[in-house]
Amino acid sequence: MQHPEMQADIVIVGAGPAGLACALRLAELYDRHNREHPDRPLQKENILVLEKGREPGAHLLSGAVMDPAAWRRLVPDFEQSQELAFTPVADDAVFALTARRAWPLPLTPPPLRNHDNFVISVNRLGQWLAARAEAAGVTIFPATAAVEPLWHRDQPQKMRGVRTGDKGLDRDGKQKSNFEPGYDLLAPVTVLAEGSRGSLTRQLLETLKLASVNPPLYSLGVKEIWELPAGRFPAGRVWHTLGWPLPPSQYGGGWIYGLPGNRVSIGLVTALEYADPRTDPHAYFQRFKTHPRVRALLQGGELRRYGAKTIPIGGWDSMPPLAGQGWMIAGDGAGLLNSQRLKGIHLALESGRLAAEAAYQAIALSEPRRLLEYAEAVRSGVIGRELYAVRNFHQGFERGLLAGLAHAGLQMLTRGRGLRRRYPAVAGHLRMRPLAEMPAAPPAPFQPDGKLTFDKLADLYYSGTRHEENQPPHLQVRDPGICTFRCSHEYGNPCQFFCPAAVYELIGEGGERRLQLHPSNCVHCKTCDFMDPYGIITWVPPEGGGGPNYEGM
Amino acid sequence: MKIVVCLKQVPAKDAPLRPLPDGSGIREDVGYEMNEPDAYALEEALRRKEAGGGEVVALTLGPERASQILREALAKGADRALHLVSPPEARLDAAATAAAIAAALQRDASSSGAAAGSAAGGFDLVLTGLQSDDMGFAQTGVLLAERLGLPHATIIMQIEPAGSGLRVKRELEGGFFQSLEMPLPAVLTIQSGIHKLRYATLLGIKQAKNKPLAKIPLEELGVDTPNCQRMLRLFVPQKTKKTIMLDGPAPEIAARLLEHLRAAHLLPGS
Ligand SMILES: Cc1cc2nc3c(=O)[nH]c(=O)nc-3n(C[C@H](O)[C@H](O)[C@H](O)COP(=O)(O)OP(=O)(O)OC[C@H]3O[C@@H](n4cnc5c(N)ncnc54)[C@H](O)[C@@H]3O)c2cc1C
Repeated sequence: MQHPEMQADIVIVGAGPAGLACALRLAELYDRHNREHPDRPLQKENILVLEKGREPGAHLLSGAVMDPAAWRRLVPDFEQSQELAFTPVADDAVFALTARRAWPLPLTPPPLRNHDNFVISVNRLGQWLAARAEAAGVTIFPATAAVEPLWHRDQPQKMRGVRTGDKGLDRDGKQKSNFEPGYDLLAPVTVLAEGSRGSLTRQLLETLKLASVNPPLYSLGVKEIWELPAGRFPAGRVWHTLGWPLPPSQYGGGWIYGLPGNRVSIGLVTALEYADPRTDPHAYFQRFKTHPRVRALLQGGELRRYGAKTIPIGGWDSMPPLAGQGWMIAGDGAGLLNSQRLKGIHLALESGRLAAEAAYQAIALSEPRRLLEYAEAVRSGVIGRELYAVRNFHQGFERGLLAGLAHAGLQMLTRGRGLRRRYPAVAGHLRMRPLAEMPAAPPAPFQPDGKLTFDKLADLYYSGTRHEENQPPHLQVRDPGICTFRCSHEYGNPCQFFCPAAVYELIGEGGERRLQLHPSNCVHCKTCDFMDPYGIITWVPPEGGGGPNYEGM
Repeated sequence: MKIVVCLKQVPAKDAPLRPLPDGSGIREDVGYEMNEPDAYALEEALRRKEAGGGEVVALTLGPERASQILREALAKGADRALHLVSPPEARLDAAATAAAIAAALQRDASSSGAAAGSAAGGFDLVLTGLQSDDMGFAQTGVLLAERLGLPHATIIMQIEPAGSGLRVKRELEGGFFQSLEMPLPAVLTIQSGIHKLRYATLLGIKQAKNKPLAKIPLEELGVDTPNCQRMLRLFVPQKTKKTIMLDGPAPEIAARLLEHLRAAHLLPGS
């Protein structure tokens, strides 16, 4: 098939904090360049940003408490961004939960202290940055997914851009009357800023056979926004919880952040590294809301939004190579997230900004090797310092909560080292154990009440998710026979539990049981792309524009 | 042919809507998109232009955020766009909207030097969607035709050139259609689903940035048609499960139905 081509200076995949920071900073560098070198001007419209969501921001979901340092560097007129309604953190607390009680920790551990930080919506932040980048002259392509990296024919290690997804294909891959082929966007620099578990990032690492020291590790964050009776939970209040309803062996925790307008952001993070294949992060979150303390808080309130997204938690040792010939990886896609503080926005912004500096050198001076300086700038700069210091934090929880807290204390005394230089890590799906090794009685299925707690489909309505129905399936199961004949016996089809959007459903009875997929429900969290025990599910971007609409998340 | 297509930005279909506490409208914290029938009106306009040449102008009346659907229209192939910018708190009904659009079209004609005084501002065809997904009045196109002094036809399924005018197919109720010929210029309100919508191409999106998008503050049009409708209250329908089954011969049922309606104060004067 013929793909129309478009030449550009740079292709940035993903309009999240990382991609947009990169675009915005590069536009500034172009302005400076054009003032200093009017004889050889650079065109800002040749800075391309691709976003698979229907609008920039539509797929952005976060907590979020933001460390503002990187934002201040990126947007020096900080005051101007006040229309974003950043709320200064007023007070914070950490609670250890048991089924009935909530014990406030006498001291908020330093990593969870949030003074001078802001409670924000990353969806609004993305919308705002995108509008600003567009006003500066950057070209943003919304509803456009990048589907594969393109390589130079004679230099197979050198990226020459990306291909965008075809539009207007039917279920069987045949062209509908409104078919539009994807474009080949060609540029000397490509920045992959796809967020957690990027699809091009995965292809790039596979093609170039690159890997991190430890495998990448992920958590799944399940979130709702509630509107509460006035005065119930002040904007700027930040609570974190440990313990219940997660078993001691399960890494994760809850959060409640006060938002303006009597709303709260509430959610639970469950690490995707557990033994029991019946673990259901969505159900854990629903249970979390039934804790007496949380129930009392939400009483009389109303659910407004829902969403779920994975979080890379592997840290320093799970970071892949960050740059090569013609490419750089920024933000969550490169694992740049501090799992101890549950914060990645500032690192995404900072890495995007650094990628722009390197890209400018490569473009303006035609020195492609300058991209490698980006990797160095990340590793030895503020990002690297922050991540290196907590490199072993998460892995210290290998043996559960108490051991983890002990390790964490020890690491704090030894500047991150703890007992070993490197704590080994095992990819989450390899930790899952067959049903035969599990207690026979399955955990009682969670019964939502439809007021405080919801099933996945009820929640999904609040995510604004929508896809073109008649399109090729974007969840590719390599061998459906494994699901029916092996997985069902060995693991009981964990996909139906870990997916927070009811994409995977078991239908039929007894020997007729089989897996039915509902790809239109998908909220693009990416869990299934790495969490099925056989590694046979591949998540590819659906037709651009499909997916959730995380307004205000 | 010179075509103007009127587009409205409405809350996205999947947006969880919430009325304001005072019932004066909905909360603005939702996503917005192009009204669905309008997207088909735009598609029809672009196909007319591809078949017979001419110009497609996309027009919207709405707050600042509504520019987004004009950019979408430009990316899909409209030549230029007019945004009649209303203040955020403005709530125009169909009559006031039609009056403002009519004024803008006439003004556009005089500024672009087209046949001055021509009713539709030199446009051969004015397209709107059949109705908006939010208010659903289905009135703006019809009232606009009245304002412009042009013939109109509603719920259009198909358009073909016929002599110096058009032959159009209207959808009636119950699977019936009406075919009629009309002169140009004319106003047509377009039904959803009559074509497959095109996608904006990346080249289209890039080029759209350099196409003219004129913003005209509503007050500059000097129209002071007052709203003739007033919204009393917007609220979520109360769920009441009170179905009463009436059996018996028809005259008896009718009489008892009347009683029930009277008792529920649902008849004028009751
Ligand atoms: C539940 C949860 C809570 C969190 N809480 C906090 C917090 O309190 N504080 C904090 O600082 N951080 C928090 N984080 C982390 C933070 O949200 C991320 O670190 C940050 O959003 C990463 O930014 P990014 O730009 O790298 O990726 P993302 O924000 O994920 O953005 C990536 C963008 O790229 C698009 N994209 C991806 N692939 C493609 C493709 N192939 N083609 C086109 N577009 C594509 C996506 O649609 C998306 O818009 C939280 C994360 C989660 C999930």
